[in-house]
Amino acid sequence: MTTAAAPGGGGRSGSGGWGAAAVVAPALILLIAFNVFPLFYNLILSFTSAELGVEGWTWVGTRNYQRVFERPEYSAALRTTALFVFLAVVCELALGFVLALALHRRFAGKTALLTALLIPMMLPPAVMGLYANLLYDGDYGLLNQIISGFGVAPPQWRTDPAWKLTAVLIVDVWMWTPFMLLISLAALGSVPRHLYEAAEVDRASAWMVFRRITIPLCAPLLALAALLRTTDALKQFDIVMAITGPNDQATQTVSALLYQGLFADGKVGRGSAYACVVLVLVIALATVCTRYLDWLARRQGRGA
Amino acid sequence: MSAARSWDERGAWRWLRFVVLAGYAGIALVPLLWLALTSIKAATDTTSTTARFIPAAESAVSGAASHSFVPTAAGWTGLHTPLPGSPATFLDFLLSSLIIGLASTVAAVALGTVTAYGFSRFRIAGGKDWLFFILSTRFMPPLAVVAPVLLMYQQSGLTGTHLGLILLYTVFNLSLAVWLMKGFIDEIPRAFEESALVDGYTRTQAFFRIILPQARTGMAVTAVFCLIAAWNEYGFALVLGGQGAATVPVWFAGLQGNISGVPWPVVAAGAVLFVTPLVVFAVLVRNHLLRGMTFGTVKG
Repeated sequence: MTTAAAPGGGGRSGSGGWGAAAVVAPALILLIAFNVFPLFYNLILSFTSAELGVEGWTWVGTRNYQRVFERPEYSAALRTTALFVFLAVVCELALGFVLALALHRRFAGKTALLTALLIPMMLPPAVMGLYANLLYDGDYGLLNQIISGFGVAPPQWRTDPAWKLTAVLIVDVWMWTPFMLLISLAALGSVPRHLYEAAEVDRASAWMVFRRITIPLCAPLLALAALLRTTDALKQFDIVMAITGPNDQATQTVSALLYQGLFADGKVGRGSAYACVVLVLVIALATVCTRYLDWLARRQGRGA
Repeated sequence: MSAARSWDERGAWRWLRFVVLAGYAGIALVPLLWLALTSIKAATDTTSTTARFIPAAESAVSGAASHSFVPTAAGWTGLHTPLPGSPATFLDFLLSSLIIGLASTVAAVALGTVTAYGFSRFRIAGGKDWLFFILSTRFMPPLAVVAPVLLMYQQSGLTGTHLGLILLYTVFNLSLAVWLMKGFIDEIPRAFEESALVDGYTRTQAFFRIILPQARTGMAVTAVFCLIAAWNEYGFALVLGGQGAATVPVWFAGLQGNISGVPWPVVAAGAVLFVTPLVVFAVLVRNHLLRGMTFGTVKG
């Protein structure tokens, strides 16, 4: 926090009080109304029989939660999401970091190339997901025409259950590798030059320099990137909807399953119970991640 | 000896870097190029089993195995033709997207700037906790609030209205706007305002005449990020937009089940039209992209 208000306040730095509260209150009230209140509402709904388009509901105790833990599709969606998030974050981070290593040096046209490479992350996932169907198509898709050109039998991306999740993953990797590239470039740029110069004096091998200087000093920012991307990838919905729809076993993420349950089956109560279970898991994961980040930052502060 | 060897090594690394970059750029950018080409093809040219990528005059096109196609504007004109089963055209959805995107961006940036100013310049009880609360709302998965928000909206008649989505996107972008703007406002020296206050400005006058002009870059960067988020959002627009406030991503999604097949040239033309403004804005603020994507924590 950079707020360095003088003790006792006075007019100079702003002493807080009602004036200050009035300045920040509208935003906080909106956030509470649209985030905190719905969370509690959701918790209440999860113990009821609420259904879309049905008037009134009754308390059903923990029945919704029992269903969520009994039915296989709920745990399957969690596994699908976990697999998707893991593969997406690992691929994007690895690819982004390698690209950043290649882009780190100065060369002519670097800015133009970097700008062009960043474009996919600004595009709407729902639209790019729909467009991907044109490239993936088994008969006329450009991708399979290229793969066939190498003499390899191409997979049926949109109909073969073994490849559907990969199809979603490829679009996600295409869209979000630029983000990892951008943050990796910042990480590489933040390594002090004098460390490399010292290593050169000591005649350290390139591999040693990479392992002992580049990786450890880039790690905090890369961890931050992985955390941000993980929380985002957990919400995966748009691309899945565009490529397979919400009710395909091979690609049914938690968001897709919830959408299917709410709008095809109208089961609000059970959906809310599932949302609560998922939220607890997400909060647990986010806490572990922030603790790790905190630990990393403190270790970094002591070490260097 | 050793100097020569290290020169060879450098040459090899330079080649490797070139191969990695050229390879990735090719793979990543071909889909965008293909999208632009698709928008000027006839529908039959988009679904041919031989890729057609060479624009040619009529006479040069020959046979099913040809790689050339005759450019046409049919995809672009299709944007103001209603789809089967719906009276609305792409342009109607685009109008919805414009209203919702612009209004929610203006609201989020305005509210975010004022709130960030408050947290930056005043001592607020539990200030740090409130800031973390604001950040945490960004990480909450939408699925945890979608059912209650839908019921709240149905009860208050906000489903299918522009106002409903404007409110939702404003709140969604608020966390980013507050955090980004706080970073930018923290960088404005306090001495500027303090001397203005000594000169007899009120706090409000100082905010409008001193802070706002200094924070213009920050507000522009914040606006671009808010606009991208609102422009691209799909889930809530699908659930809450209904007939009255369906945005462009919903229009695209609606084409998927089209009985006569997806009209690819129209899709491509719509996609090019829809994403171009965003790409232009994002390129304009490219030096601040990293800052925006990390909630202002990495200055880049």
